[in-house]
Amino acid sequence: METLYLIKPGELELKTGNRREFESRLRRDIERRLEGRARVDIRPGRFFLRVPEGLEDEAERVLSRVPGLVGYARALTCGKSMEEIGERALQIARDGRAEGHDTFKIEARRADKGFPLDSYGLARVLGRLILENVPGLAVDVRKPGFTVFVEIRERVYVHGAIRRGQKGLPAGSAGKGLLLLSGGIDSPVAGYLMAKRGLFLEAVHFNAYPYTSREAWEKVRDLARVVARYAGNMVLHTLSFTEIQTEIKRVAPEECATLFLRAAMVQAAHLLAGEIRANSLVTGESLGQVASQTAENIRFAQARTNLPVFRPLIGTDKEDTMKIAREIGTYEISILPYEDCCVLFSPEHPILRSRMDRETEAYDRIGLEPLIAEAVRTRETLAIPCED
Amino acid sequence: MSPAYLDWAATAPASPEALEAYLRAAREYPANPSSPHGDGISAHRALEDARTRLADTLGCRRGRLYFSSGGTESDSLVLLSLLRRTVPGSLVISSIEHPAVFEQAAVLERLGWRVRRVDPGPDGRVDPGKLADACSGDTVLAAVMAVNNETGAIQPLEGIRRALDEAAGNGRRVRLHTDAVQAFGKIPFQPEALGADSAALSAHKIRGPRGVGALYLRTPLESLTAGGGQEGGIRPGTENLPGILAFERAAGIATADLAGNFARARDLTDRLLACLGDIPDARPVPECRTLGDDRYSPWILSLSLPGLPGQTAVRVLSDSGFAVATGSACSSSRRKRRVLEAMGLPEELAFSAIRVSVGPTTTAAEIDAFAQTLRTAYLRYRT
Repeated sequence: METLYLIKPGELELKTGNRREFESRLRRDIERRLEGRARVDIRPGRFFLRVPEGLEDEAERVLSRVPGLVGYARALTCGKSMEEIGERALQIARDGRAEGHDTFKIEARRADKGFPLDSYGLARVLGRLILENVPGLAVDVRKPGFTVFVEIRERVYVHGAIRRGQKGLPAGSAGKGLLLLSGGIDSPVAGYLMAKRGLFLEAVHFNAYPYTSREAWEKVRDLARVVARYAGNMVLHTLSFTEIQTEIKRVAPEECATLFLRAAMVQAAHLLAGEIRANSLVTGESLGQVASQTAENIRFAQARTNLPVFRPLIGTDKEDTMKIAREIGTYEISILPYEDCCVLFSPEHPILRSRMDRETEAYDRIGLEPLIAEAVRTRETLAIPCED
Repeated sequence: MSPAYLDWAATAPASPEALEAYLRAAREYPANPSSPHGDGISAHRALEDARTRLADTLGCRRGRLYFSSGGTESDSLVLLSLLRRTVPGSLVISSIEHPAVFEQAAVLERLGWRVRRVDPGPDGRVDPGKLADACSGDTVLAAVMAVNNETGAIQPLEGIRRALDEAAGNGRRVRLHTDAVQAFGKIPFQPEALGADSAALSAHKIRGPRGVGALYLRTPLESLTAGGGQEGGIRPGTENLPGILAFERAAGIATADLAGNFARARDLTDRLLACLGDIPDARPVPECRTLGDDRYSPWILSLSLPGLPGQTAVRVLSDSGFAVATGSACSSSRRKRRVLEAMGLPEELAFSAIRVSVGPTTTAAEIDAFAQTLRTAYLRYRT
């Protein structure tokens, strides 16, 4: 027997202009993640996902991760006879009781005005039925342990708790962004947050092998895999920045090494974004967190691109970022000990407030363009499919 | 395996003879040596024969040798036995001990024991007088390794024994424990001649299998673990008979021509030392190490390439087919080179150090190819 899920899409009601596009993006995303084994029906204000038996766990995982979905619930459906409706309401109530709740309420909605009982009457009848048949339950309309939802539409839908989705906007509705991904805690979280705002993601990582280890790269790949659970299929571009880092160390003033490296990364990301048609860059920067993330230094690196640079964590405390990282499952990977920048290239006293004119001149004097172009040209590309 | 394996001090690949001995023992002695039936008795006899032969190579009585799971367990048996004392005392260790001793001592420290750690000189060797000075009235144990695993520095155990005895005067004798996993089967090593009260040995450093070792004990100790009473109750648990017989076989081969092997190893490390002279700024660790220097085990040579992090060197060399070691981590903390820093080596040199260790099958051609690759890698990646 197939299982029916009722899906509440995200901010679609706000977007009357392109609502249909958003709806079909969300539908396609869910269907693609389930590899076409389940179908989504779009009804006004509601989606329904029909899932064949045995696929429920996978379907629930997808629904809990896909961007653009406020909530979902496993729903029971039936015709419009009170007997059938009552039977399903009792089933939900028994499940709620079995989960240890002792209070409930009924939330009824009559979209089909032809139905003989109004929503208040329906709630009263079903409430009494449950009280009479499920021992140990009482009604509490203010803080119920669980709620039995009943919706009278073209058919009748009965469901219990609505589980939370990721909210946000459907994947790809905002185009494609290029995520600057390191092995740290912040950038995977930034990617996740922007994916929820409707960006398809590709990621770029700047590798300094042999100054960093293969494990450091594998860590980044593993982080990309976790982000892809939410963002959908991704591509990871790995650029060798070894030459660029050694050149900066050789030529640049020591205190500017990190600043210039950041600028070179943005410059390379800008080039790459053009090739892959990304409309924006995404970074995990948080104001003042490290020396390269002061307003002055962010400005300096920012000047290497005219694409919008999305920094969803700019005003977030580290602790809160870590909390999100734990929730989405990147934290445990990010704290593995493999560094993705060799201490050799980190100045002891990095510059805090760069001066645009002076530092730009010093940066331009190094003449990194050919090395950056080469790094972009010789990049390694890895498909990161969205999977568990 | 890498075309040129130069990490013998980490694990010496098991010899065909040792592997054969392992397999044969597993087939021929399937029974538990503690069992009273015929199969058990023959297994027991094989075990005791191996003990006798291994004791002969160590120049000690067979009753003083106990089999264990390896160097770390042998060390911890000795250190943990101190916990059988009713009142915590103190112990003195060198600050360049292997983690098997160094970390185990830290555990004792958390349990109320006082631990004094004595730094070596710049040559990586512990001064006997300094060690004896660190002892006090309640010191019951001193632990100094026979050969340091990073620098190859041979520790003056005889001198340490003498200094300990002189300092103690007519008072109580301070027991001397030595982790000898880099010494036994590689350089002349006889615990009784050196005056050690206990010594930890390992099979896989001398081409035996991993997971087996032994503990020499001049007098039995009170073990912290209990069980079926095997190995005199000091290391209970069913004996790893195939491992033990393979260990004994490997030890027999290693000690049969110790002098010849030693001389060949010295030629190899001297060859590499000489090559270092052709690589600008490259230097041995410690820098005072010279050709044929008898203060160092010829099986181990550490060297430093300033400007090239040790871990980076290891990766580049590995990509070219050479396996070497480093204790360094390219991390912000920069404090993973405890041994080298204890010698007073400047951070820059410690950070850039790698360890090359050779074995009985290492060839001069491998050393030449290695030196060539090292030079290229250094010029390419030094910063």
